[in-house]
Amino acid sequence: MAEEKKGRAVATSTAAKIPKFVRGNLSATLKAKEEGKKVAAAFIADGQDEIMRAMDIVPAWGESFSGVCAAKRDAEKYLQKAESDNFSRSLCTYATCNIGFDMMREELGGATPEGAPWGGMGRPDMMLGNGQLLCDPRFKWPQATQHYQQDVPVFVTNMYYPPWDPNADHHEQEAIYVKYAADELRETVKFCEKITGKKMDWDRLAATVELSDKTWDLFIDTYELRKHIPTPMDTGDAMNTMVPLTFNLGTQEAYDFYVDLNAELRQKIADGVGVANPEKYRIIWAAGLPSWFALGDFQYFNGKGVVFPVEVTYRGCEKIERLDLPKTNDPLEHIAWRWVRYWTHWYDAAKKRPGSTPKVERIIEYIEDYKCDGAVFHSAFSCRSWHAGIMQQAATLKKVYKDIPILIMEGDIVDISSYNEADTHNRIDAFIETLAASKKRQG
Amino acid sequence: MDYFAGVDIGSTMTKVVIMSDRIEVSLIGPTGPEHRKLANRVMEEALNKARLTFEDLTYIVATGYGRINVPFADRQITEITCHAKGLHSLLPSVKTVVDIGGQDSKGIKIVNGKVMNFVMNDKCAAGTGRFLEIIADSLGVPLEKIGEISLTAQKIAAVSSTCTVFAEQEIISRLASGEPIANLLAGIHDAVATRVYSLVKKLNVEADIAVTGGGAKNIGLVKALESKFGQALLVPPEPLITGALGAALMGKDIFAKYMAEGQKPTRSVNKLEEATFFE
Repeated sequence: MAEEKKGRAVATSTAAKIPKFVRGNLSATLKAKEEGKKVAAAFIADGQDEIMRAMDIVPAWGESFSGVCAAKRDAEKYLQKAESDNFSRSLCTYATCNIGFDMMREELGGATPEGAPWGGMGRPDMMLGNGQLLCDPRFKWPQATQHYQQDVPVFVTNMYYPPWDPNADHHEQEAIYVKYAADELRETVKFCEKITGKKMDWDRLAATVELSDKTWDLFIDTYELRKHIPTPMDTGDAMNTMVPLTFNLGTQEAYDFYVDLNAELRQKIADGVGVANPEKYRIIWAAGLPSWFALGDFQYFNGKGVVFPVEVTYRGCEKIERLDLPKTNDPLEHIAWRWVRYWTHWYDAAKKRPGSTPKVERIIEYIEDYKCDGAVFHSAFSCRSWHAGIMQQAATLKKVYKDIPILIMEGDIVDISSYNEADTHNRIDAFIETLAASKKRQG
Repeated sequence: MDYFAGVDIGSTMTKVVIMSDRIEVSLIGPTGPEHRKLANRVMEEALNKARLTFEDLTYIVATGYGRINVPFADRQITEITCHAKGLHSLLPSVKTVVDIGGQDSKGIKIVNGKVMNFVMNDKCAAGTGRFLEIIADSLGVPLEKIGEISLTAQKIAAVSSTCTVFAEQEIISRLASGEPIANLLAGIHDAVATRVYSLVKKLNVEADIAVTGGGAKNIGLVKALESKFGQALLVPPEPLITGALGAALMGKDIFAKYMAEGQKPTRSVNKLEEATFFE
């Protein structure tokens, strides 16, 4: 039985439209069959969005569904189901929650298990995995779930970028990685053509990619409005407003959402409306996925005058002009350049600061730009790939930048057994006192 | 004369300090499941001991895990800040505090009496006083004796499990196979010290290092920690009251700040009476 929990009130009215997006994405997977469309189990930030959108393939975002289960505090039944087949709790709980759901659905012959949060997700016709540096479940998860859905073909696209090496010239390596990624995307297109029985409309793909670029630009323009003091929107909302960029990239709806959000933030700035009143401390959410079942903790911060004007998490884009992408008429090559440069464009800055790393340099850039007083890192125990190195990032930040107050929160993305609200709030209280002491020291 | 009180409600013990220019009285009593809501009784006892009335108190700060259950306090401040404040007043050279409480353990980095950084273990009983309590109970040894006994060990019996429940089982089975109690206790203290050390070393640990909390009263644990940190650790005269002392000092600072600004601090309207969870 799910524990009833009052949802977090978002600060912006635009963010309140997000549940409709998420429900729409889930229901699209359930309606796809009657609409003659194919469903692909897919992963976010993998460069495959535009291919799917241009071919009318409906993405089934497992990470989103698991996040919904967590937010509804109704994931335990799926985690236990996966655990019954020896999937350890220390594995990615996005994956194990989804695998548990898949297992139940297969036992029902493909029918959606009763009581699935927000109607559940449709059975995929294909699985698009991704082998890259971000996380290993993107290729292990499809392999694991294929044991239960043996008729569903898997294709793993390999998207890499030059690994950080302060002594190497990544500019020399980028073209090699781009060629490799573009070739992989071409193979992805061939796979999708085979499964859908339709040919790629390359003009439509190019238009979709162009729309994505526009959305990236608008997203950053909008988020940079949060530099204003008091900030008109914080991370509590951003964990919602990331949805169109992350799950609906290449759609007009995503672009239009940020038009609305941009207008609302401008209005709030004009009206002098901030998330917290008074705004006492500005914090960066420096790393880590949130505990989806505890988004209310952002309100706990806000209630004490603490706001998050910026976060690294789910800021999965950059202004296109800042990436200085080479011109190309090949939309797949453009996606590949955008993908590689998204990661490498912090390398040059990191090289200029001895001992720094691109991830830390990015945090420093945001701290400076958004005038932050401290940093919060969230270590989600089951998200090993993404959260490995968080302690080193925090230590490096203090070493190469300055000794700012840092809070390391511990929890998980989906597994609520990792969470204790009283202790979490106690830590937050102590962190806020540390912020006060730090600010006093600085005069 | 102005009197300031600090009330530290920990998971196991409740501590009260009443001070003026000096510590007038300090009192330590068990918290227990039913006692957390009875902070007023510990305070009454402390006031009696100090020959003061509740009305004599100028400002009261509550801290600790149960600080929210002290309705008569004027302000709630976390134990992190209060420990730092209290310890700095007792041992000003200390830059790193290791606090081992009944329910959690923490490390605090101090600069000029203020918290610079902190780490906490509140997820798992291993590495806390509760772990030692459970093991002492399993071995039938009084808690206050386990530290001394551990120092008589011929060798440190390795305890492989980091889970309290499984460690208890492991201890019982090792005892049954003939391992001396002293060796097992040395192993348990080493296990707790290892966990605490791995937690605290996340801070940029600087000497002097002090140990506080109930764990500091266990000589076996202090020695095990000294071995991990590679240096002697300082222990304040009464390691349980640093949080309450810090709370009282924080109250004194808050009051002084208001007075300097020509204002009176806002006081709690609540009387010294039993807290209830039903309002």
